[in-house]
Amino acid sequence: MRISPPRLLLIVAFVLVVFLEARTVLAFFGVAVSPLESAIAAVAVIAVLVYWGTRPVDEEPTEE
Amino acid sequence: MNIHTYERLWIVGAMVLIVGFIATITYGSVGLGITMIDDEEETLAPDEIGEDERFADPRVEQVGEDEYAAYVVAQTFVFQPDPIEIPADSEVTFYVTSRDVIHSFTVVGTNTNTMVIPGEVATMTVEFDEPGEYGVICNEYCGAGHHDMEGELTVVEAEEFDLTDLAVDAPDEVEPGEEVELTATVENGLLEEVETTLTVEIGEETIEEEVVVEGGTSEEITTSVDADDLGEGDHDWTVEVDDESDGGTVTVGTDDGGDES
Amino acid sequence: MSELFVEKYPEQARLIRLAFTASFIALGVGAVFGLLQALHRTDILRIVESPTYYTLLTGHGVFLVVTFTIFFLVGLYQWAVTDSLDRGPVDPRVTWTWYGLMSAGTIITAVTILAGFLGDPPEVLGSELSADVLFTFYAPLQANPLFYVGLVVFVVGTWLAGADWFRTWLAWSRDNPDERIPLPTFMVLTTMIMWYISSIGVAIAILAFILPWSLALTESLNPTLTRTLFWYFGHAFVYFWLLPAYLLWYIVLPKLSGGRLFSDPLARVVFILFVLLSTPVGIHHQYLDPGISEGFKFIAMTNTMFLLLPSLLTAFTVVASMEHGARQRGGEGTFNWLRALPWRDPAFTGMALAGIVFAFGGFTGIVNAGMNINYLVHNSVWIPGHIHTQVGTAVALTLMAGSYWLVPQLTGNRLVNRQAGLVQVVLWFLGIVFMTNSMYRAGLFGVPRRTAEPEYSFEYDIGVGSMAELNVQLALGGTLLFVSAMLFLGIMLLTAFNDDTEPLVDGTIPPALSGPEDSPPVLDNLRLWIAIALVLVVIAYIIPLASIVDRGGLFGPDIGPFPVFVQITDAIPTVFYSLGALIA
Repeated sequence: MRISPPRLLLIVAFVLVVFLEARTVLAFFGVAVSPLESAIAAVAVIAVLVYWGTRPVDEEPTEE
Repeated sequence: MNIHTYERLWIVGAMVLIVGFIATITYGSVGLGITMIDDEEETLAPDEIGEDERFADPRVEQVGEDEYAAYVVAQTFVFQPDPIEIPADSEVTFYVTSRDVIHSFTVVGTNTNTMVIPGEVATMTVEFDEPGEYGVICNEYCGAGHHDMEGELTVVEAEEFDLTDLAVDAPDEVEPGEEVELTATVENGLLEEVETTLTVEIGEETIEEEVVVEGGTSEEITTSVDADDLGEGDHDWTVEVDDESDGGTVTVGTDDGGDES
Repeated sequence: MSELFVEKYPEQARLIRLAFTASFIALGVGAVFGLLQALHRTDILRIVESPTYYTLLTGHGVFLVVTFTIFFLVGLYQWAVTDSLDRGPVDPRVTWTWYGLMSAGTIITAVTILAGFLGDPPEVLGSELSADVLFTFYAPLQANPLFYVGLVVFVVGTWLAGADWFRTWLAWSRDNPDERIPLPTFMVLTTMIMWYISSIGVAIAILAFILPWSLALTESLNPTLTRTLFWYFGHAFVYFWLLPAYLLWYIVLPKLSGGRLFSDPLARVVFILFVLLSTPVGIHHQYLDPGISEGFKFIAMTNTMFLLLPSLLTAFTVVASMEHGARQRGGEGTFNWLRALPWRDPAFTGMALAGIVFAFGGFTGIVNAGMNINYLVHNSVWIPGHIHTQVGTAVALTLMAGSYWLVPQLTGNRLVNRQAGLVQVVLWFLGIVFMTNSMYRAGLFGVPRRTAEPEYSFEYDIGVGSMAELNVQLALGGTLLFVSAMLFLGIMLLTAFNDDTEPLVDGTIPPALSGPEDSPPVLDNLRLWIAIALVLVVIAYIIPLASIVDRGGLFGPDIGPFPVFVQITDAIPTVFYSLGALIA
């Protein structure tokens, strides 16, 4: 674990919030993102985060 | 009192923000002229609505050049009149009162929005730039059927807008050889004179008449058709002027004048 | 570690546990109703007929913003007074009396609301036992008289509770004549002053007008007057929900962060500002009401904007206290100190997330307060969006987080499963973001609040996305909130019956960095603040009220009752009158 589970949980929660609100903000600037695209992007980012967060620390000695 | 320097700065910033908000709203009121729903109208008890000349017959009325008044009554669970038709690019003042509980008069997608409280008359003056159809809803809970309370507001081009009313006096039966006389009364509710076309269709015949009606008056137009030209039997007729129309059936001949169903 | 609260004050702990129990039962029922509403509104699942939706809505409102919040408040305040004055009440019988009154009032009102689910409700006091009038009970919508009776009994209970705390404080100050009022007690007393001043309005509305009218003792009332009296009370009412959360943010959150409160004097200033400003703003709920002149609305608007000040001050103090705590825990850097905060503690994380949502909701509140922008959002679903970010999260989530810290001290039981608690507060945060994002967006396009079926024959002009998408988002958010509420109640229930008596909670509150010695003694002069508050209230309200009475009369321009429980097809007020007359 590179990051404690509580922190990972909080970061995932904030990522979800950012993706949810980003659609409205982007639409304001004329960029249309469909809910599906948004959901896929959010899931992808969260998957990367979880993968990164749960990998053992020893691969990369400098801890975050 | 001991206040940290950062906190002093924060308080100053907060006060600037607050004064700024008040300033923008004051600008909206004074500079842009966005007035609030007010207490300028007298109170009106719900059981006096029937005797009030504005609300006894809920309607739209012209009160000046490009100025209209719409008298609307809200009650569980309808708006009267429905639909409401108003012209674009004109000042329309809505007068809204309630017959029973608290409602709202809300034109969806616009800032035409007011509470409607029994005993009070809400007024607001608005101008619609674009023609279109708008939903009117009540957004204050008013009872079990609240979600069914819905009306319609139609905004038409100023040139196409009229307050024409039509009434037709026509016989039910005409003897062969006589004239079928249709008397149309065209009432013009606008303040300006209206030039329009009255179209009468009876049987196969179509008669068009140019009509000029002074503002706030009505004209009677009589058209007649020879009953023999129609032939014996039932003949449907319609009279149309602007968006108004009336219709009926006249029977030529009494004894064997076709099917009576 | 100091002696546990439950060991030091066993009787107080018992009372607070009972108050929290009532509060949490209401939370459970309210959450179920909330879920059903979210699914009904969005037409995803409709298990009741649409007219019954309004029974759910009334229950959701009353059980959550009256029962849940206020029972929690009295429990928390009983703790705050007892703990900070280090003594129990003068006469415990009074304490149990107010608890009894509040419980009795709740039960009476709850019965009238829940009877709305019956197909054929019984007749009580001359009308059907039903109360589909929502928690604002705007006349001439009419509920069964018992609905109002229950509310009155409940409010009288809270008045007695306030008197009880004042009495405890007076007894304490006789023993400690030269000491400043401890901050938690100061917060309790100022909250109750605000409550006394504001609840006069709703008491007059009910006792003088609505209750006699519902009993058919009077024939009519003035709806503008009763509505104005309600909102005279109504905005202070929302601060009555909020101030317990403020108390937790000021007293408990700095401690949870590992530090101390930044400034005691400014905390006092904030609570005094609430006493002064929370009542003379109520007309901002009536910006779109006919019968109230624009000038009064403008005054209410400026007062409302100044109410931002105590909340902005709170934002500073709370964040500063958290930063101080983080630095005590070894946090460094401009923002890196955030990482040193105890994020694994659900009590801390819940309050921190609630604070973030509160800041966002505060800005939506500024939109509501802007009287000309209000035309756009008034009574749209934007408004419940605002309510759910504020009372539904800033308050509710803080109270739940506070429970994680307080309940072990009240029971002597260790909190079961802190990890589940953390998941619970994060779920609540996510649920509220999903639900209110949908509500705010839909509200801007004119979708109304308080309706069983928000979709009509016309199409909404949705700027981004579609109505279907907004519906799914609302239902998803509502479901997450429901799951989170159930998780919270489960954790509380298991904790209540947890045999493990190692609570692992330190109940001591460290003193503030800048303590009461830095605050001028005038801040504790409660008589002065009461006097100023009353003057402000008179200035803001006496002319509008006089004008409303002058226009419409005390008892209104012949407004008959409109019993909403009568079928639409046989809405015959005369039947109601004659039944009422028989009883009277």
